[in-house]
Formats: sequence, structure tokens, C-alpha cells
Amino acid sequence: MRFLYLPVLIAATLLGQTKNPFAGKPEAIENGRKLFAEVCGACHGPNGEGGRGPSLTTGREVRRATDAQLFQSIRNGIRGTEMPPYPQAPEKIWLLVTFVRSLSAPAVEARLSGDHEAGRRIFETNCASCHSIAGQGGSLGPDLTEAGARLSLALLKEAIVAPNLRLADGYVPVQAVLQDGQTLTGVARNYNNYSLQLLEATGKLHLLDTRQLARVEFPGKSPMPADFAKRFTKVQMQDLIAFLSHQATRKIQ
Amino acid sequence: MTKTTLVALLVLASLRAQVRYEDILKSPRENWLTYAGDYASQRHSPLKQINTANIASLVPKWVYHFDGARHLEVSPIVHDGIMYITDSNEVRAVDAARGRLIWRYRVEGVKNARVNRGVAILGDRVYLLTSDVHIVALHRVTGALLWQRAFASADKGYSTSLAPLALKNQVMVGVAGGGSGQRGFVAALSASTGEELWRFWTVPGPGEPGSETWGGFNHEFGGAPTWTTGSFDPELNLIYWPTGNPWPDFYGGRRKGDNLYSDSVLALDAGTGKLKWHFQFTPHDVWDWDANETLVLADANWKGAPRKLMLQANRNGFYYVLDRVTGEFLHARQFVDRLDWAKGIDAKGRPVLVPGKEPTPAGVKTCPSVRGASNWMSPSYNPETGLFYLVTLEQCDIYSGSAKEPVPSSGFRGTAGEQIPAEPGRMYMRALDALTGERKWEAPMPGPATMWAGTVSTAGGIVFAGDDDGSLVAYEARSGKDLWHFPMGNTLFASPVTYMVDGIQFVAIATATDIFAFGLLTHP
Repeated sequence: MRFLYLPVLIAATLLGQTKNPFAGKPEAIENGRKLFAEVCGACHGPNGEGGRGPSLTTGREVRRATDAQLFQSIRNGIRGTEMPPYPQAPEKIWLLVTFVRSLSAPAVEARLSGDHEAGRRIFETNCASCHSIAGQGGSLGPDLTEAGARLSLALLKEAIVAPNLRLADGYVPVQAVLQDGQTLTGVARNYNNYSLQLLEATGKLHLLDTRQLARVEFPGKSPMPADFAKRFTKVQMQDLIAFLSHQATRKIQ
Repeated sequence: MTKTTLVALLVLASLRAQVRYEDILKSPRENWLTYAGDYASQRHSPLKQINTANIASLVPKWVYHFDGARHLEVSPIVHDGIMYITDSNEVRAVDAARGRLIWRYRVEGVKNARVNRGVAILGDRVYLLTSDVHIVALHRVTGALLWQRAFASADKGYSTSLAPLALKNQVMVGVAGGGSGQRGFVAALSASTGEELWRFWTVPGPGEPGSETWGGFNHEFGGAPTWTTGSFDPELNLIYWPTGNPWPDFYGGRRKGDNLYSDSVLALDAGTGKLKWHFQFTPHDVWDWDANETLVLADANWKGAPRKLMLQANRNGFYYVLDRVTGEFLHARQFVDRLDWAKGIDAKGRPVLVPGKEPTPAGVKTCPSVRGASNWMSPSYNPETGLFYLVTLEQCDIYSGSAKEPVPSSGFRGTAGEQIPAEPGRMYMRALDALTGERKWEAPMPGPATMWAGTVSTAGGIVFAGDDDGSLVAYEARSGKDLWHFPMGNTLFASPVTYMVDGIQFVAIATATDIFAFGLLTHP
């Protein structure tokens, strides 16, 4: 892969196309959004949420790619996929790069205002029985110590108000009845036809062969309340999101 | 749920099967709790379910594909049925009996991606060192991030790849940098917070003892890195840490003198980091012969009296026996045939040099090669057989040196040792008498001589080793008879471990891309 990138990078350098002139500029993001809806929206969705083409809001691929790599992917298309080339003026491509980049930008970069302390209290009362930050909290839901660095603002909001839209990998709710009648409830950190790695709310991990199980059920729904949008006032929601979006332990590139 | 109930639940959970320092003192048994299994780095397990009588029915139990990995060097840690494996800046916890992922944690935002040799474990924490010299503490059951903290500056060229060593309430760490001109150090970090408790610089500062051995060379660029895991003697409360080459690697004209404490072992007080003694294997090294090979601690009778010994098969081709209480040199013996840089080791432990073997601009053929007669691939020591098992490399190189002004972090190493195309290297598995260094048996390992796999010894009378052809091989410990092998289809850069879950013994090793775990076809 590295070798494939090399000629691309050389070409990009020659054309002066390694540095995004619009990086992070709000006006460019807005102009990029309009252009994106026109040019890319048919496949990627008007807001990059995905459709025939992959979502650009969730993947690490976009975040890990350099601006120059995004530029080349847009300009030349991606070989072996349906992604076509877009051989237009560099300025237009950079606008798209800027918008695409903003879709998956870590929430911490949004520098949200809000009452963080109030947000922390809301977290402790409503979230910490399942989610942890810096070792404090439960373990039935994903660790949020780096929520602001790992999730985009859009995903962070979505995870709070619509927890059933995507179940996080390794946190599938499960109830297992062992051959001896004991019932275990928690999340499946992993499972297949032969084994189940079940984590209970107490933090106890059970490593099981399925032949040890009399029955196993996956309710299919997140145990997280789906009505936080109604439970919290707008201000409370803003405080919570502000608090979570600032959870980062190091700068993310 | 109230906050109090929550805290109570968490405390309850964390009490279950925590890894106590006392547990590590007893490792390895069912668990494998340090890089080498034990603090003495013997890499010898008392498990004997798999033994010489039933080895023929050893079969693969599971394979875990580490997607994205290209060069795994990890020695797995196993505790309470969970195996912890690493690649660059990433830890995965896998069901050690079933090979299924439990959690994964990848550090985002790290610019460089060096290899990684594994985690340390203590309490409820699993510790990873990142390529950009952070220590990361993760919860051993959930994989949740507890904290991370830098212990050196990546901007100054520091990086690291070793498995840290946890003891008492501290985590021992080291750094790479012998080839790029960083000043090496060993540090003890708080196991609770990552805060630095003490640091020992491996290149003395101006006016400090040992600084006179550098001919005025800038101590900031001296190298002597600490890129492998050290050993620990709890009775003496001494940490033994090996150090690497002085910089620039292949030209010594600007650093006249012995260049302390490069290519040495340091005996450091575990509580204070104070130097108790040191021993230098290759003074004024110009061949890049780091002394970072495993330091094996063994208690044995030496000339009729029990003695606390330290054993090392050094990259320079000699096997050393030291007194680890005092650092006294006791014995050395050549363990490869291709060795021509020294006539031997004198009574004080200093090499008797052969003139004309130093690198020159035109190049000089010298043996062993720059990769060393052995290297960081793990040896093992079986107290029952009294044998020291290791993978060796018979190879010479053309060494060239340049007096060019050295610039740190520029890639300049004073030039290099290069393989001689007409004289390819050959790896051998060897068993040495641990006290004399005498070769008791050997097994050739035909192949490209590109692997870095080590060994693990068991009370089942077997020593397992990675082979240069990508096989895991079981040798009869006393005779070296080849009892069993399994081709894993990939180059090996890691050392095997053994452990037990629910009464079943496993032997596991990482290939470049996968973890293989073996057990008996049927169990008692």
C-alpha cells in the first residue's frame, strides 16, 4: 500500500497539492458542504452519512488519511471501487476535502461551550453506571475517556439521543442461562457458535464454551435509555455534550 | 443506582483476581505474568501436562489473526484466562483458551509505529508503551483507558518498543535510540499514576563517574539505550537492566574510551535507582553489539558453594557468568564458531582484542555479524537440566566506518555492518552448560536467517523454539532430539510462552501476523 501511495504523493507534491489552503475554515466547510451535496451526495448521502457509498462520518479511514491522500482519492477516484474520479480544479477538490474532513473531525475540535461541571454531574447521575471515564464508572457501555477524541460531534450526539441506531462492537446485550441453571446478564464482548465472552455489570468476565450454555438470548436493543432527548432540557443536553466532547487524553492527528 | 452502590460494585469487581506483586513472584505457573514469565527471566515453566511422552499429540487449538499486523514481536502475557497481545500502539485481550477477541485498544494520534514486544500487568492494570514513549494504563478486564502519560519526548527522537516490567508499585521502562543518538535511561514509573519515581541515565553527565570514558563526546548523544526488558531479584531488591551500543554505532574516533555505561548490565536499587554495580561486556563498541540480550538470573553451585549468578549470551559471541550480588566477573566462553574480533575474555572480563577488526572506510570482515551471535530473542534456562537454551546466528559481516561529523536523529550511525552475499548466515538452536558455557547439543535451523524467535523451557522435559523456517519446534531438553514441529507458514519475530486455563496447558507464539496456541489433542 505504501508503494502505491508513493507516486501519488510525488505527483501531489509536484502540483503543490499536499497542503489544504482551506483547512478548518468555516466558510470553506459551508461551501464544501454545498458542493458535496451536488457532487458526492448521490452515493455518500447529502451530509456524508452514507448510502451506496460508505459513510464518511464514522470511519477511521478518513481521519487517518492525510489531506493529500483525500485530495488524490477525490481527484482520481479509488481503484477497485465504484468511486469515480473528479478531475476538477484543485480549489474545488480542496473544498470537498475540507468538508469531508469536518464530518469526522473529533468532537473535541469543536471546542463546544457549555457548563462542563454541570455536564459532569449529568454524566455521573445518568451515564456512569454503564460508562467509565478515567477508570470511574461502569463497564457495560463503551469507555468514554476519549469520547471527544474518538467520536465526531455528530456521532456523539447520535449516541446519546439514538442509542439503538448503532450498537457498539463488543457491547451487545446478552442473557445466558448456563447448564446448571445460573443466569448471566451483561454484554457479549464477543460471541460465535462456539463461545461467548460475557461481561457482567459487576465487571466479572465469563469465558464460556457454548456447550456450557442451556440458552442464550440477545435482546437486540441497547440497554441505554432511548429517551434522553426528552429527559434532558436543551441546556442539560448541551452541558453533557460539552463535557463529553472535551474528554481526550492526547491530541489526535 | 446510587454513586455509593456503584463504587461498591466497582471495588467488588476490582477485588476479583487482581494481579498482586506476590502473584508475579510466583509466575510462571498457570499464568504468565512478565515478558520472560518470571523476574529471573528464566523463561522456564513448571507445567508438564505437555511432556516428552505425549508431545506427538500436540495440535493447534486456535489461531488468532491480528488484522493489520505485519511484524508481531509480542511475548504474550496471560492472566486468569485472558491473553494480552500487542502490535504498534495497540493492545488486544483474547480469550486464552479459545482465541476470541475480548477487547482492543489502539492509541490514536501516534506518528510513528515501531514494533511492540508486549505489556506488563499489575493490579487491575495492563501497561503498554507506545512508539512515542507514553505509558498507557488500561483496565485488564474491560480495556478501558485509565490514563496515559509521556515519560520521554518523541520530538527529541526517543521511541520505545519493549514490554515494561511491573514490580511492587512501579513499572520499569526503557527507550530505544542507540542508532540515532539519544541518551539512554532506565526509569521507574508509579504503577498508579505513571509519574516518574526515579531515572538512571545510562550515559553519565559532565563530571559524573564514567563521564571520563567518552573522550569529551556530548553525553546527550551517547546512546546506550535500554530497549529490552530487564530482570529483578526481589531478595537483593536489585533491578538488572541491560544497555545498548554507544553512538555513533560504527565509528569510535570521537568517543575515545570505554563509553560507560554502553553495552553493559546495570544493577540498580529498585527503590532509589542508585547504581549498585555495573559490568561492561564490550568496552568502546564499534560493531553495534548491544548488550540488550536477556539477563538470566540463576542460583546454582559455583565451585562448590551456592551463588547468585547472572547469565548472558551476549551479542558479541561470548557467554558470560557473573556474580549478581557484586557484579564480579566469573567466567566467559565463546558460544559461536564464527568469532574473530577477540582472542578471548581476560580474568577481569575484558575482551582481548584482535587488531584490525574495527570498521574502516573500505570495510573489514569481522565475526559475528552486526545482528549478533545472539540478540534479544529470548533464551531459557532449565534448573533441572542445568542447560541454557538459545538461538544463535553464525555469520560474519563487512563492517565499514566513517569519521563524518555525527548528527543525531539523522539516520547516521557511522555507517554499517553488511552481510556478505557469498557467506549467508545460519541459525542454530543450542544448549549450553549454564555454568561453563560448553555446548551440549545443537540443532541447525536451515532458512534465510531472518527470524528473531526465541525459546521457552518446560518441566515436561521440552524446550520449544521458533525455527528459521517458520515452525514451532519441540526439542527434548537434555538431548536436543527433535520431537515435534508445526509449520506456521510465516516468519517468526517472537518468543513462545506456556500457560494453563481450566486444566489445559497451552504453548503459544506469535508469527508475524497471527498468534498460534497449541495443546494436547485429548486431555486427562
